[in-house]
Amino acid sequence: MRKIVVLAALIALFSAQSVWAKTIVFATDATWPPMEFVGPDKQITGFAIDYMKAAGKEAGFTADFKAVAWDGIFAGLAAGKYDAICSSVSITEERKGTMDFSTPYFKVRQALVVPADSKAKTLADMKGKTLGAQISTTGHFAVKKAEGVKDKSYDEVGLAIEDLFNGRIDGVVCDDPVAAQYALQNDKYKGKLKIAAIIESGEDEFYGIALKKGDKENLALINKGIEAVKAKGIEKELIKKWIGQ
Amino acid sequence: MQSPQQNVPVIEQHDGPAIPRKSDKGLVSAWWLSLVLSTGTLAWLVFVEKGAYMRLIKFIPDGVLVTFQVTVFSIVLALLLGLLTGLGRVSRNKWINLVASTYVEIVRGIPLLVQLFYIYYALGRFVRVPDMVAAVIAMAVCYGAYLGEIFRAGILAIDKGQTEAARSLGFSRAQTMRYVILPQAMRIILPPVGNEFIMLLKDTSLVSILAVADLLRRGREFASESFLYFETYTVVALVYLIITLILSKMVSMLEERLSFYVKR
Repeated sequence: MRKIVVLAALIALFSAQSVWAKTIVFATDATWPPMEFVGPDKQITGFAIDYMKAAGKEAGFTADFKAVAWDGIFAGLAAGKYDAICSSVSITEERKGTMDFSTPYFKVRQALVVPADSKAKTLADMKGKTLGAQISTTGHFAVKKAEGVKDKSYDEVGLAIEDLFNGRIDGVVCDDPVAAQYALQNDKYKGKLKIAAIIESGEDEFYGIALKKGDKENLALINKGIEAVKAKGIEKELIKKWIGQ
Repeated sequence: MQSPQQNVPVIEQHDGPAIPRKSDKGLVSAWWLSLVLSTGTLAWLVFVEKGAYMRLIKFIPDGVLVTFQVTVFSIVLALLLGLLTGLGRVSRNKWINLVASTYVEIVRGIPLLVQLFYIYYALGRFVRVPDMVAAVIAMAVCYGAYLGEIFRAGILAIDKGQTEAARSLGFSRAQTMRYVILPQAMRIILPPVGNEFIMLLKDTSLVSILAVADLLRRGREFASESFLYFETYTVVALVYLIITLILSKMVSMLEERLSFYVKR
């Protein structure tokens, strides 16, 4: 009898979840502070995480986050292992070919992080030097495009920063909020590293939520949520909380 | 000289392609079949399917070169370390023996991946070596311990009479080791050592974690940019297979060279 009660309760719990709120599973590579990272309490947290949770509240879905390594995160989306990617994915033409994007939720630029005593002012000053970046990020593409610069790809941006700190490479290129986090706010690297330049690529770069191509239903939900977060001023609060300026 | 252990059955286990031997009877050996299949598939993909495979083949050669460099340098260094460890393990000096044994115990108890991270990132605070050097050192330290055990087993496998004979002819301990024991031990340990070489080559794929631009890292770069995961990893797997097959053939040739005074 007790078993049946427990079972009934469980069934009720699960069905209640699916009735009241749709769950959207977001893959995230939580190694990109302050956007998404693993906090001291081992929970995934950050600007984008709060943003999507708020968007879920507004549009009526539960945002569930799943930690996935960046290398292979797009393959998992194509294979249907999760519904969407919320991992500071920059919207690019190449990526649009294989996935759909939500409304942009954040504008970024690429920043060049160098040791504090470096004289470099632009990317051009790094000729003949080695620049690190996270594998297949827009920062990595920028390094590959740069003339006469050796590129080195890392699984995580934190490892690239650590290598820079240890003097194995001459600079790191990554999104500016991340660069600011490491070079200006992180206790370990503060004062040892600095942002040398913002790399002008000629076009604005935006983060969007990546979805499987043709997934209209989730796209509409997520877009509705993002628009509500923008309209209600929640976005401003989150920027103040996570990014500062 | 009678070669020792000639008729003792030896359990052979392989952690890579089996080392081809003269004694493998039959028209087609597994080694040949694997080689033909793998090179054939690769050639077919590149020259018939073209497209992505062609771009891939142009993208990864420098990665293959790096994999090769790491392998060769690690093997040389690991052999040196292994010989020292092996000699240390059979040494009669208590302290040398203890140091060698402790090194083996510690290294064998830590996963290679953790060792790589340790040497690269943890020790990076004190020693700032380039990534390739860190990779080679980590691989060599790890495999030096395994090779040391094989060397020790090989040295102990040589009949005690050999030492006694050499000593009564007036050889010193060091001379006995150098001229009598080690040359014989070499032949015994070559198959397992060759096996370790092949394992080492396969384990170099782990150094891609350290952002060393080896074959696997180049493949990952290509895949995550082009989204062609199936094509990329098919080619990467085939290239690794072809390299290990060639390496195992080289080991078997070396075996034949060294077994020239065994009665055939």
